[in-house]
Amino acid sequence: MALLEVRDLGVRFTRRGRRALVAVDGVSFDVDSGQTVGIVGESGCGKSVTSLAIMRLLPRRGVELSGAVRFAGEDLLAKSQDQMRDIRGQDIAMIFQDPMTSLNPVITVGLQLTEVLERHQGASRGEAKAEAAALLRRVGIPDPVRRLGEYPHQLSGGMRQRVMIAIALACRPRLLIADEPTTALDVTIQAQILELLRLLVDETGAALIMITHDLGVVAGLCETVHVMYAGRVVETAPRHDLFARPTHPYTGGLLGSIPRLDAARGEPLHPIRGSAGDAIPWSRGCAFAPRCTRRTPECVDGPPAVFHLAPDHSARCIHPVLHDLPETEPVP
Amino acid sequence: MSLLVARGIEVHFPIRKGVLFERQVGAVKAVDGVDLQIERGTTYGLVGESGCGKSTLGRALLRLEEPTAGTVRFDGVDLLGLGYAAMRRIRSRMQMIFQDPMASLDPRQNVESILTEPLTAHDVPGGKQAHRARVRELLEWVGLPANALSRYPHEFSGGQRQRIGIARAIALGPELIVADEPVSALDVSVQAQVVNLLEELQERLGLTYLVIAHDLAVVRHISDTVGVMYLGGIVEQAPADALYDRPLHPYTIALMSAVPIPDPEVEDARERIFLSGDLPSPADPPTGCRFHTRCPYRQPTRCDTERPVLREVLPGQQVACHYAEQILSGRIQPAQVEVAPATTDGAASTG
Repeated sequence: MALLEVRDLGVRFTRRGRRALVAVDGVSFDVDSGQTVGIVGESGCGKSVTSLAIMRLLPRRGVELSGAVRFAGEDLLAKSQDQMRDIRGQDIAMIFQDPMTSLNPVITVGLQLTEVLERHQGASRGEAKAEAAALLRRVGIPDPVRRLGEYPHQLSGGMRQRVMIAIALACRPRLLIADEPTTALDVTIQAQILELLRLLVDETGAALIMITHDLGVVAGLCETVHVMYAGRVVETAPRHDLFARPTHPYTGGLLGSIPRLDAARGEPLHPIRGSAGDAIPWSRGCAFAPRCTRRTPECVDGPPAVFHLAPDHSARCIHPVLHDLPETEPVP
Repeated sequence: MSLLVARGIEVHFPIRKGVLFERQVGAVKAVDGVDLQIERGTTYGLVGESGCGKSTLGRALLRLEEPTAGTVRFDGVDLLGLGYAAMRRIRSRMQMIFQDPMASLDPRQNVESILTEPLTAHDVPGGKQAHRARVRELLEWVGLPANALSRYPHEFSGGQRQRIGIARAIALGPELIVADEPVSALDVSVQAQVVNLLEELQERLGLTYLVIAHDLAVVRHISDTVGVMYLGGIVEQAPADALYDRPLHPYTIALMSAVPIPDPEVEDARERIFLSGDLPSPADPPTGCRFHTRCPYRQPTRCDTERPVLREVLPGQQVACHYAEQILSGRIQPAQVEVAPATTDGAASTG
């Protein structure tokens, strides 16, 4: 049994007098203990809502959840808010994109760290303080004892994200969800934070779900990658297979539209036409069809079936890109 | 001849204290002595991390920010010596594209009015008829449908909005366009559309670009020459290919090694050079080389006392580092930077 099993998860936002908005539409995936899983997609594809649904952090009013989220065998969607509060921070922790808005600006860093330890581990004030200093040192913050008395605005962006990581890992959770943890940071700081995450996840044995729009970040970090589009997973593959044999046209399109630092100059980019706003509902056909170069009339006849290229490599497409054609030798 | 030549540009923002008699107690040295020139018809890419002064420099070159020192010559004309009216006239030849099209387009103006405004403001002859024809032409160039004219910015997607911003920038037939983070607010699949559009327009209209961005891959793709900025100064400047094939300044080397590449094979084989710490404050920059506090190649002498000047180390490649030759030859190796202290150092037992 996997540590986290997400089955047919659906999230609908409903508002009186308006059509319901389907943000997540039947998402299923597994996360094994100690595994690093990437969820990639552009803004609005439902990747963040998926993580908030797993954590049960979506508002109760106006949100309809369906499907199942099983963590260590227990269905999180059936838990009460009180039970969830025991699980969050203890068993599952989360790191958000912008540490300035996810840390409390009027409470010292120290208090925000010790709070977690006192709440979940019943540590005394003194124990928690010593532990908090050790945690800050562990995430590479110099002079941790002084930092404990400081407020978030006194720290740089990279430092704040380190503090977030320290808080998230304080109780040694079995699952860590990182939602765009480095998007707000500069690239040299991003490299530090990703390396730190990699080290700490290795050391604590936590599973990691990495949510990002950056294919470069998943390329170096995630064992399995799920590509999302318009609320559904459109392709799932181990990272080497995903980048070597992108099977869903959307994945291929994404890879073709990113300029690469190591590419030869003058190679043109191949953008995907249109924008994510052009998606059609999955119930009517493939949501990507309006932007797809391989579209045929069958694509909008109904929800596309999932094509399996390999047991661990699948794409939700009826015209998948197959890479088994032999390379033709150029004629001299 | 170069279209734009800037020498010794400084933009210092005063820090004042006191209520009634404000005294200046210091200055944020956002741009601190930059020389730069852009050849006609080429693209100069300016990269650097947030707070390095790249946007301020871009604005200073157009005199949207008044430089506190230095000279800017645009097509031979000394911009800083121009009066209000003359400056206003020459502005039609230099335009800007902004990062966030939602913030830089007036939400209460429709597209026709947004695109006609520069034409009337600069008294483009021909009257309404000619203006209308010009606006239609602009829409076609940037790939927007003609029915966009009566619509408002909020009715468009991010990529289309940026196309409107680009159409406005080229409305007066400028020679130089400063594009400040033109694609960073867009989704990756849309970024490529806008990058391609910028390249198309350059070819069609013979534009000269200064592209300011933090994304090194985008800058590499689009630029002929790249300048890397750190804390108010350019630390390395070279043709794009040379810079990416063989970065010489320690900061450029670290920056390149930090950019994730969407290819697991490459990522697995790469060696990263980590920088220690964060960007120092531009109000109180380090002595000597601005980068010495974080530099993995730092040497015991000169680095902290003497500010290196930009000098040609390889043909066409200028570097501001005392030890560029030794780094190039491999005689100086980078120091290892610990991202997090190892668990063996005693105090760090977490739980």
